[in-house]
Amino acid sequence: MSSDTPSMGASKRTSATSGLRNIQTARPVSPHTPQPHSGNPSFASSTSPGSTFRSEDDAIIFEIGARWLRAGFEGSSAPVCVVGFGPEDSRRAGDYRGWIQGSSGAGRLAQPVDIEEWTRTYELWRPDSREIDLGLVEDKIERAFRETYNQFLLTDAGTSRLVLVLPSLMPHPLLSSLLSTLFSRWRFPSATLLSSATMSATAAGLRSALVVDLGWAETTATAIYEYREMTTKRTTRSMKHLMQEMGLLLTGFASGNQGTETVDKISVGFAYCEEVVSRFAWCKSQAEEDENLDEPGLKLSIPSPANPEEEYMDVPFSRLAEPTEKVLFAPGVAEHELDDEEKSLPLLVYNTLLSLYPDARGTCMSRIVFVGGGSRIPGLRQRVLKEVSFLIDRHGWSPIRGKALERQRQRLEELRLSAQKASNQPEIPKSNVEAPSSDDERADPSKEVPEIDFVEQKLRRQNKDIPVPIQGVLREVESLGPWAGASLTTSLKIRGMVEIEREKFLQHGLAGATRDIDHPVPDRRSGLRSGGDRSSWTLAGWA
Amino acid sequence: MSRPFPYTYISCPCADTPVPDPARKRRSRESTQKPPPEQANTDQDKKLSAKDEQEEEDEDEEHTFDPRSPRSNFSLYPPEQLLYCEECHQIKCPRCITEEIVSWYCPSCLFETPSSMVRSDGNRCGRNCFNCPVCTAPLAVTTIENATGNGPQQGPWVLSCGYCLWTTLDIGIKFDKPTNIRSQLQKMTDSTAPASFDRSRQASRSYGDLKHPLSSYASIDGQSNASERDGEQAASKEDPAAPPMGMDARFAALKNFYRTQIAETSNSANDRLSSEFGFSSPGALNRLMSLYTTSSRLSGLYGGNKKPKSKPPVMREALTASEGLLIASENNEADIIARLQSPECGWDGMASIDQRATQSPDVRFVDDLLPLPVLLRTKRAKRCKSCKHILVKPESKPQSTRFRIRLIALSYIPLPTLRPLALSSTSALPAMAPTSDLNSLPPLRPIHVLLTLKNHMFDPVRITLATPPVTPGRVATKVTVLSPQFEIGANSDVWDEALQGGSAPLTSESRSGAQRGVPEAGKVWDKGRNWTTVVLEVVPGTLPGSSAENGNGDADTETNDVDVSAIAASRQDEDVLEIPVFVHMDWDADAQLDQQNVGKGSKPDDKVTRELAYWMVLGVGRIQASL
Repeated sequence: MSSDTPSMGASKRTSATSGLRNIQTARPVSPHTPQPHSGNPSFASSTSPGSTFRSEDDAIIFEIGARWLRAGFEGSSAPVCVVGFGPEDSRRAGDYRGWIQGSSGAGRLAQPVDIEEWTRTYELWRPDSREIDLGLVEDKIERAFRETYNQFLLTDAGTSRLVLVLPSLMPHPLLSSLLSTLFSRWRFPSATLLSSATMSATAAGLRSALVVDLGWAETTATAIYEYREMTTKRTTRSMKHLMQEMGLLLTGFASGNQGTETVDKISVGFAYCEEVVSRFAWCKSQAEEDENLDEPGLKLSIPSPANPEEEYMDVPFSRLAEPTEKVLFAPGVAEHELDDEEKSLPLLVYNTLLSLYPDARGTCMSRIVFVGGGSRIPGLRQRVLKEVSFLIDRHGWSPIRGKALERQRQRLEELRLSAQKASNQPEIPKSNVEAPSSDDERADPSKEVPEIDFVEQKLRRQNKDIPVPIQGVLREVESLGPWAGASLTTSLKIRGMVEIEREKFLQHGLAGATRDIDHPVPDRRSGLRSGGDRSSWTLAGWA
Repeated sequence: MSRPFPYTYISCPCADTPVPDPARKRRSRESTQKPPPEQANTDQDKKLSAKDEQEEEDEDEEHTFDPRSPRSNFSLYPPEQLLYCEECHQIKCPRCITEEIVSWYCPSCLFETPSSMVRSDGNRCGRNCFNCPVCTAPLAVTTIENATGNGPQQGPWVLSCGYCLWTTLDIGIKFDKPTNIRSQLQKMTDSTAPASFDRSRQASRSYGDLKHPLSSYASIDGQSNASERDGEQAASKEDPAAPPMGMDARFAALKNFYRTQIAETSNSANDRLSSEFGFSSPGALNRLMSLYTTSSRLSGLYGGNKKPKSKPPVMREALTASEGLLIASENNEADIIARLQSPECGWDGMASIDQRATQSPDVRFVDDLLPLPVLLRTKRAKRCKSCKHILVKPESKPQSTRFRIRLIALSYIPLPTLRPLALSSTSALPAMAPTSDLNSLPPLRPIHVLLTLKNHMFDPVRITLATPPVTPGRVATKVTVLSPQFEIGANSDVWDEALQGGSAPLTSESRSGAQRGVPEAGKVWDKGRNWTTVVLEVVPGTLPGSSAENGNGDADTETNDVDVSAIAASRQDEDVLEIPVFVHMDWDADAQLDQQNVGKGSKPDDKVTRELAYWMVLGVGRIQASL
């Protein structure tokens, strides 16, 4: 049903908002006095005199993932609230079961559940859009937004601009569902889409980065160079699998067999398992063959998986690192045995870097940013970096592997003089920080540092003020996360590439976006668009 | 379900109107043609949807409402939560209204917060109201010297939880005054020595503890000639020495940095100026300027007339900690692991997900939790989403619970109540026996339930009830409404009734007494002034997998034998017997001035026939697993 029946008030309102939009479009770069935003002039005055005078101009930022929704106002460093999509959130109104008998996922399940079923009710969507009921997703989104506004944001929904932080790869049906739900339910004047990877880089203070997002359904490694997404690689080794693996481990504990788990169904509650993962999942600093060497007897007392409400149980601390190890690093599995979609995390990072141009690679590899739920697991990031540097040491930056290559190399080496050997070897010791360069990459600037020609000298002199950025070293940079990045970007009055106006979306839906991605020329210097013609809109990376 | 049996829910008609999306039609057809496997058996009446795939858009009305489909959870509401729009003559649920905030108040101290203060207080109470970060109980301001007890207003103050006995002393926070705790706490978390606290603790909003921008610049530039990397390392070496910044401080630093960068790159003329004045960095002066004026116009005043450099400066990335860059330290994670292992941490030393949800994102241990100011609440006016007619308007005072306008649906639609019919007519206390039964209804044994509809309107209402003969879902329960069409009297004044004839309630009593035990098809069970009771005959079906499985159940389980257990587990309420009932009501209302569109046919005496139709779900009870 159309939300606005034509009436006197409605026509008045649209004229008012359209005039307002013109003001917003001509937003100057420099900070300015906020325009007083009058939402519905024809109605607001009658009921709530207070609400119109609030600084409604601040955009509201939502970050939506498969599991969590973060919401807050632009310019604040952290979201006001984080809301999950659990089964308790899709109960009927007036169904207070969760409060009566405790959270549904806390206790032990009545019967073992298939691992996919186990997680299903806790997800808003799945990457495979064949498996999702879009109507249900819309219902959940509507309710989550409504309750977020009523409980946490405490502002009138729909009056201010909406900024959505989304993963850069999102199924169109989902995106369309999301936007049409929001636009038809509330009167948001416009919605800006921001890519979560780029925002993570922004929140780290970087312009180029390799953003490793350890998300729920998949882990993505996105190389960002000067705010552009260069390449994205993904793997299904992610938090969902980690959770399932931990669930199996705990099920094993519950049934008493401490040894090899043969179970393929989970009988512990999801919420309980998530609690364990969030508290005690950790990662060993390196793959150890000598399993129980470090404090083998160290036990940890956690609520018993069999009866979490009442009793505790001693669990070896080292066992809690097993799921992380198994899921994210795939120890003991050769690289060629892994499918393209299930590479281990170090391989994912390495392959993403490998697919970049040397310049971008050098820049990105010293700006690795870990975000997502999995980045909280202690020890994980160091382990990934360590293994990546091991991979670099072993393979260099050459995608060619295998026995034939080794043979060929040996033959070549026999032909060569012994003095020339060294230059061909990719195994340059780690102490030399500019190691990752093999001879087919002469363009690597780090290679040319020793011989400074006169042009270089002149450039140096000219750019004396500008420090040359660090590159070529593996380095991790902390980010404040995509939400904070979006808050930062929005509060600086930088407009996103994808800005969807309400009226235009309601007319054509996603089909109204121009296919021409290059249509809005991004500002060179900032990389983000700062104003300009808004007659048509694009989906940019989401197209 | 949550409510004690029997209960009733009403489905808001807005569920039938999907979200309008121009690109949607094609998609929705695709999605219904191949529903996900586990969806298929719970989807609305499989046969129906298979039959009319092609013409589903026309036959939307014909679909049986399935209380079991996961979507129906979002449209079902207890009758008392629904509103009614007098303009649209339609039931309104929270999904089809828009809300406007009338006032903000703290639920703890009931002080109204002015709208200008709400956002600056972070949507939380700015006074002394705090919740325990561990158990969310309200915290009380108490003095430490309470034990000695001689000075009435003595000594440092703490916040303490009366439920879990947590106090702010646990995290080393004391207050000097018992008032204005929020600002004291804020000051403390801003400026406490970072050595004694975790880095998540100090949420410094001031730039005070950032290093001076010029100094960091000087340090970089001094070394950048020799080797950039050395300089970089030196800069990053400084970081551990300097206190690590909290989230807020980093955010502020980043914001400041970006703002400067944008200002620098947008008017490049400042470069000349800075080099003239001996500032080593183009940003330095500009940064100083931006401290005084957020606008870059003033700096343009000084440097604007200079010829711009040929090459526009390129926006760079953050290089130092003062600009918000934070290089991950290598031993940070090792420290965390060591702390996880330490015996004093344990399970309860870690913050749970619920505790963390309201705290700063990098909080990990219980020791990092800070007392939470109470979240404000709002009083909201509600309007119909389609016609903007106001439905609810509370009084703005927090202390008042009155409403100026409140159009609740129960004043317009009959209130449904359900109650089982006592099986034995001789029982003196009919209400006692069946209530225990409802949680374990024996399958295949017919029971009778009494559905009473009570009219609150001042017009008599004609009701037509319809149910699917067999409830949707895998538990096939047969339902028959014995008298689907009946009338309910008007809600006339109670005094009228009493004055007209005191015998009216008596007669209904006697009639019901006579009829008790003999439910008859086509006959209303009982009838009062403004209510009518009808009988539903229900034959509960058998649960799949139960011992008393009959042919009907077999047909279902054969099709999806594989994932029976999975479905049974996911559908934890499969044994709940819920009956969808379609209610159609029409009545002759006084014609209002503005309404011509809804009235079907005008009656001579300015009466309009109105109708309203909706689905209702009756929760009867739980079916036993076996006979």
